[in-house]
Amino acid sequence: MSVAEDLKDSLESFAQSCNENERLMTMIKDWNRTILIHATDIDHYHTVVTNSGTVTYFPAKQPAVDLTVQSTAEILAQVFYGEVSPNEPYNAGTLRINGPQDDIVRLDFVIAMIWE
Amino acid sequence: MKHVISVSLGSKSGDFSREIVLDGQALRLEREGTDGDINKAIERIHELDGHVDAIGLGGIDIYLYVGGEQFIIGDGLRISKAATITPVLDGSGLKDTLERRVISKLADRGLIAKGTRVLMVSAMDRFGMAEAFVELGCDCVFGDLIFDIGLDYPLKTLKEIHEIAVKYRSRLLTAPFNLLYPTGSAQDTQDADPKYAKYYDNADIIAGDGHLILRHLPSRAEGKGIVTNTTRPKSIARFTDSGVAWIVTTTPDLDGVSAGTNLMEAAFVALSGKSPAQITAGDYDEFLNRVGWSGSFHSLGNG
Repeated sequence: MSVAEDLKDSLESFAQSCNENERLMTMIKDWNRTILIHATDIDHYHTVVTNSGTVTYFPAKQPAVDLTVQSTAEILAQVFYGEVSPNEPYNAGTLRINGPQDDIVRLDFVIAMIWE
Repeated sequence: MKHVISVSLGSKSGDFSREIVLDGQALRLEREGTDGDINKAIERIHELDGHVDAIGLGGIDIYLYVGGEQFIIGDGLRISKAATITPVLDGSGLKDTLERRVISKLADRGLIAKGTRVLMVSAMDRFGMAEAFVELGCDCVFGDLIFDIGLDYPLKTLKEIHEIAVKYRSRLLTAPFNLLYPTGSAQDTQDADPKYAKYYDNADIIAGDGHLILRHLPSRAEGKGIVTNTTRPKSIARFTDSGVAWIVTTTPDLDGVSAGTNLMEAAFVALSGKSPAQITAGDYDEFLNRVGWSGSFHSLGNG
């Protein structure tokens, strides 16, 4: 699988796992955000939208972005597969997140709840 | 005179210095805030190492004890390693013993009973207190996800808190601490989110970290009881103005301030002459029996 396909698969798995976790869906029921994922090395854009507890994946840019996550496709796939905590590449400077600090914590929390 | 200093990631506005006699020995206790600057805290602890009898680490924990398991706060551990001679204490040892006592004492006074509605703004950092409320049959809401993560999801059981802590273990170790908890000037922020008011309204007692309680305290909290520490005259004034009936600080009143548990644990270690590794829960119990700490009750005249 190419890194591009890997990233797409990780985001689909992420969205699916969120939607299969009823408790998580209740936890994020009021957290409605549009999260843009930008794989900088291959310049691909993807979007994850959380709305009323449901997580939807789009393999393209969507309007009105609240949070942008940027890194290489490989690191992004590792993050959304839950193989590494976003904190590791974030602390190493290889992953950048632009948006409100509270939303960064919430996104990380959601990833931890489904994969840890 | 023994000299103990708490180096805190909290705001400098909370600094104080007191000379007290504790367990028959004179002590100078000081608190120095670094306004959330981790590097400054590391530098200051390194300077103090070998020159004071014990160092408290405030505004951050090194360890959390949840459901019998130890969880490490990465940034806390990193800061504590700046000292290699003088012990650095985060208060987690004393907290577990002291806070259970305080809750038991409140029950003896009739202020807590089965069915009392308790909002603990965060329980992972005070699991002993959470267990004490549950053992008394209180109707508890644990607000860790609400107040720490910002997700409107109340936790209701100790088991859930433990489950979340286990899932969050790697984050506690690696996340920049200022993402998880207000440090520095963020501690003075009052940005009450109206959606959280319902949790205060539905509680008889609000317990836990003072900064988190104050951050979202609604303008009116008539008749409520507060169980916390690290209070200052201005925080007591805010509780009074909002109509709070009473406040219990778990650490003793030091002429208008209540210190963080880290400072009081550091004081105990300095007096004991033991290394932290040698100290047991039984030692804390004996010490607390001798000094008679079981919370400082303040009626705010709003009852």
